[in-house]
Amino acid sequence: MNEFFNQYFDFTVMGDHFGEVLDGFWKNLLVFVIAGMLALAWGLVLALLRQLPGKKFMPVRGLTIAYIDVFRAIPILIIILLISGGLPYLEFIPKEIRIPQWFGQPDPYWYGVLALTIVYGAYMAEVYRAGIEAVPRGQIEAARSLGMSHAQAMRHVVVPQAVTKIPAPMLNELISLLKDTTLVGVIALGESVLIGREIQAETFNASAYILAGFFFLLICLPLARLVDYLIKRNQGKVARGSHIAV
Amino acid sequence: MAEPMLSLKGVHKRYGDLEVLRGVDLDVGKGEVVCILGPSGSGKSTLLRCVNLLEPPEQGAIFLEGKDICKGPGSGTGEQSWNLDFVRQHVGMVFQQFNLFPHKSALENVTLAPRRVLGKSREESEAKAKALLERVGLGDRLDQYPERLSGGQQQRVAIARALAMDPHVMLFDEVTSALDPELVKEVLDVLRELAGEGMTMLVVTHELGFAREVGDKVVFMDGGVIVEEGPPAQVLDSPREARTQKFLGLVLDR
Repeated sequence: MNEFFNQYFDFTVMGDHFGEVLDGFWKNLLVFVIAGMLALAWGLVLALLRQLPGKKFMPVRGLTIAYIDVFRAIPILIIILLISGGLPYLEFIPKEIRIPQWFGQPDPYWYGVLALTIVYGAYMAEVYRAGIEAVPRGQIEAARSLGMSHAQAMRHVVVPQAVTKIPAPMLNELISLLKDTTLVGVIALGESVLIGREIQAETFNASAYILAGFFFLLICLPLARLVDYLIKRNQGKVARGSHIAV
Repeated sequence: MAEPMLSLKGVHKRYGDLEVLRGVDLDVGKGEVVCILGPSGSGKSTLLRCVNLLEPPEQGAIFLEGKDICKGPGSGTGEQSWNLDFVRQHVGMVFQQFNLFPHKSALENVTLAPRRVLGKSREESEAKAKALLERVGLGDRLDQYPERLSGGQQQRVAIARALAMDPHVMLFDEVTSALDPELVKEVLDVLRELAGEGMTMLVVTHELGFAREVGDKVVFMDGGVIVEEGPPAQVLDSPREARTQKFLGLVLDR
């Protein structure tokens, strides 16, 4: 038992490397915040493209659905490797774009952000779609009967109601996104898990992983509680017959 | 009679194999109130939805102030086009389920379309919205959200919202059917007042008393066609068609 504890909960190892692992986790958070904001925006764009009406926009809707389906079906790790292992060598693309080092962040950081935005945009689009489809049909009809265009009806009537219905599933996706930022370690971004591996290789002790996991726990557990709270509150409102959910 | 405000000629509408409207002809003069009766599934609501092109008809023509609104670029495809703009800004519609915007106050519900569609200033649209809400008896509820309003109050806001676009024709789709009995009168009073002011109205309703009192013409629909039409007294008291007699018998027999 003692052996087990020493292997996983060696506080000396944790203490010696605390700063390094925390620096790594800070990188996870940096990827998470930027990729999260981009995915929220990109997902909304995808969801709106998917809702375009009429025959004219059939190809746009089809392409959007294909995008969403494809990127939800492929492992994120493959997307990350495809970008980092291909993009830098496409010489017809300007160097600043194929090997981005914006805002002092190294290129693996941006490859990770790009891959996670591409994939999580697809997941977010599905979340927005659920919200949009939960808005009663009569809302669009009322807006349209008042002379609003489809775009005006979406912007002023449908989307403001849709986003109030989806904070819980949206937070769930964000929790997944935060955890998936560890995949960017594979392309040599020094995030917490990659740092943990280096420490493990050096000490033959797995305690640094536990420390990294603990940092994630610290952020994700309260978020999971918040999701539960939002769902409960929403159910209460539905039970009371309110029109606005969550 | 001068050129009718609204004229339907052989209007057909189908959903897949189901033919909901099977050739409807109807003339509505300026300032006329036409009440449409009929059993559920007879095509009454679909008829209203055709008139404001929420459901573009497949066949036939609809003339609004002399213009054929079913023809023109983009007609029948659900795309924005000149006729859609023309129709939506000349025809107001009020729904059975009110369909107020729940995230906006009563005042904002009324000002949204004038501001976004007509590009009016906040001051102008708010002044007008206040006057309209005053007129439907809700001058003291401007900042209330729909969930805090009774069904009758919500429906009156919905009427004010439609009127804010200065429509020439108003469509009412069973606007009292979702209301508690004691709230029906306050909504019908608003309709009565509008009719008195000379608004052209198409009213789908089950309120026979209202049709008799306010209607200039009563239309009975069944199976996607107009079975009988005429002055209220004639259609309601001495209907010629067997189907009308049967329907009225069932409604009055409750």
